[in-house]
Amino acid sequence: MHLKRRQFLATTAAATAGLAAPVTLRAQAREYVIGASLPLTGPFATAGQMVAPALRMFEALVNEDGGIGGVPIRITAEDSGYIPANALANYQRALATEPDMVMYFGDSTGFMKLVAPELRGANARLMGSTSFASELADPAGNPYQYLPGPSYEDQFDILLQQVKDEGGSTVAFIFSNTEFGRDPIAHGRAKAEELGLQVVLEESTREQGADIPTHVTRLAQSGAEYCILQGYVTGVWPQLIGGARQFGLPTRFMGTFWGMENAIADRVTAEAGPILDGYAGVMPYRYFYDPERGPAYERFAAFQKTAFVGTPLENYLPTWGIQALFSLTIGVEALRRVADKGLELTADNAAEALSDLRDWDTGGFFGVPVSMVNNKIGTGRVYRYSAETQLFGPSSDWFTV
Amino acid sequence: MGQLLQFTINGLMAGAIYALIAVGIVSVFKATRVVNFAHGYLIMFGAYFYFTFAVLVPQAAWAPDWLASWQPGWMMDMREGLPMFSPLAAVLDWLANVPRILLGLAGALLCNAALGLVIERTLMRPLMGQSVFAMIMLTVGLISILSGSAQLIWTSDAEFVPSLAPNTPIRFALFGQTIFLFGADLANMVIALLIFAGIVLMVRYTKSGIAIRATAEDQSTAYSMGISVPKVFSRAWVLASTTGAVAGAILATRNGISPALGLFGFSVLAIVLMGGLDSYLGVFLAAMIVGVLEALTQWQLGGEWAGIVPYVAVLVVILIRPHGLFGAKEIERI
Repeated sequence: MHLKRRQFLATTAAATAGLAAPVTLRAQAREYVIGASLPLTGPFATAGQMVAPALRMFEALVNEDGGIGGVPIRITAEDSGYIPANALANYQRALATEPDMVMYFGDSTGFMKLVAPELRGANARLMGSTSFASELADPAGNPYQYLPGPSYEDQFDILLQQVKDEGGSTVAFIFSNTEFGRDPIAHGRAKAEELGLQVVLEESTREQGADIPTHVTRLAQSGAEYCILQGYVTGVWPQLIGGARQFGLPTRFMGTFWGMENAIADRVTAEAGPILDGYAGVMPYRYFYDPERGPAYERFAAFQKTAFVGTPLENYLPTWGIQALFSLTIGVEALRRVADKGLELTADNAAEALSDLRDWDTGGFFGVPVSMVNNKIGTGRVYRYSAETQLFGPSSDWFTV
Repeated sequence: MGQLLQFTINGLMAGAIYALIAVGIVSVFKATRVVNFAHGYLIMFGAYFYFTFAVLVPQAAWAPDWLASWQPGWMMDMREGLPMFSPLAAVLDWLANVPRILLGLAGALLCNAALGLVIERTLMRPLMGQSVFAMIMLTVGLISILSGSAQLIWTSDAEFVPSLAPNTPIRFALFGQTIFLFGADLANMVIALLIFAGIVLMVRYTKSGIAIRATAEDQSTAYSMGISVPKVFSRAWVLASTTGAVAGAILATRNGISPALGLFGFSVLAIVLMGGLDSYLGVFLAAMIVGVLEALTQWQLGGEWAGIVPYVAVLVVILIRPHGLFGAKEIERI
């Protein structure tokens, strides 16, 4: 074949334009997309439906601040029904339809584990979630996934340290017979031994519909001074505490993040009386009503007052909403750092920027500056519930483990 | 020995509730030959109706204050200086809730009976004369409808309801060991056993009961003897729904309320198979055996095994006696 000079130039120009097109498109992104799966239906629909407007608020506030490197963001959320396979399908669809997606928010440990092997090469995105599962904090295996706070193992460390500081010597672990429930138990056992605490009972229960009298009897027989509950959200733990109070047990109960929502504690108090008085647990963030809340919460509060009038979000942000907002905040912070360096917003660059976060001022989510170590932030605080004020109040300083 | 007794009693209390749930499945099967896979979700609706009338209605702006919390002067006087978790305080707490508990139970019974009737008249009856398999599949489809409807009406929020009886602690010594029982659980057991006994007596000695038994034997013969088989179907569904309402209210007081309550029906289905689908006595025994096995396994082996060991026992029984402990043997001649 004989190629004329003009034909050669035209072909070369076309080929160059074709090859450069993706780079040009990426450079010219008019908006960055953050994808999300939320449980808008299913067992956690209430939580998902409250988080969905919070994500819209987050989008508006980030864009007010100039987006990421001057490019506005758009958040697209789809329903998972709290089924990991649905969330995975949502992620794959978002990958296929949103070429400028730079980050994803997952709604369960199950999804995060299911999607982890998919996060390779062009399919990888920076990924936060609602999960504090210890095994997700694994920079070698899951470099793009991070925890927006302390893992359940860290939370057990914080609680056991608190037991030690209060002069306790015996502790019981009661947990649901699920991955969520079992997550920190072996680690907790080792940590208790290290602290000189005796684990006198490890009791596994059903996640729903547990046989409360049997578990309370076992707790009473163990003689534990403290009992840490793990692996429950709304059910079982209030009934266990109520049963123990009726039994007359002096055991002091503690829990981790998902047992710390103020609205749930208030509902329990309204129906069962002051059984939760003195119940304590780890809450990584300040509660929304904290008088010492920082500028981030103040901004949310101002936005909520005008944008969510007449809804439960008008004056309150539940713990799971705070968690979702912080998860996205820290992800966007990493992406902004990448953009500021003039680098492309790839998952690798974002993960590297995230792991470099040290002594970062979160704007009031945490009471102290935090660091991302091993893809998690091992900081939290013990709060205690008062049936009189119907609020969780701080009962320790901020711990970093 | 004392501990064995403690965990056995705990198991019997759980078993009585299983029996109350199972009685609805057996009643529908006896009358219609249909295994109602959606029974757990009927129970869930009963629980939500109880929640509606015992919690939501008393909280309404138009409801009188005494409905939400009945606080006569004498009760206020008695409360003075009482320790927070004393037995008397628990009784007074319960007394203050009695009006709404009664309203909750009445509302749950009536609404669940109506629901059972609607299901029977609109979904099951048109299938009369068709294959039983079609009706069973329909109950499977009903699971999604009831589960989705509950989430639409009441959301997926976990809620809490008042106990049917005062949750006073009961302590007594036996074999040198202090036995401890929760008052509310004991009352729940008594309620469950009374209802169970009432239904068994009704089926054995009343006209309606005889009609159910006759229909269970042979629908065509029952028809020819002047028994209105469609009415028997309706009664069976209403019976299952009303016992389900009480079971739902009891489960809600023990575990709180959420759409996950419907899943209880499946574990009880195994108990029904163990006892024999058409035997009240068999199902009662199976429920008690599973309840006690669960508690004893929890005591000796821990929770990981408590969900397995009793159901291995169910499997073994079904392998040895495929028709269950006391179920009628069916011989099919081809």
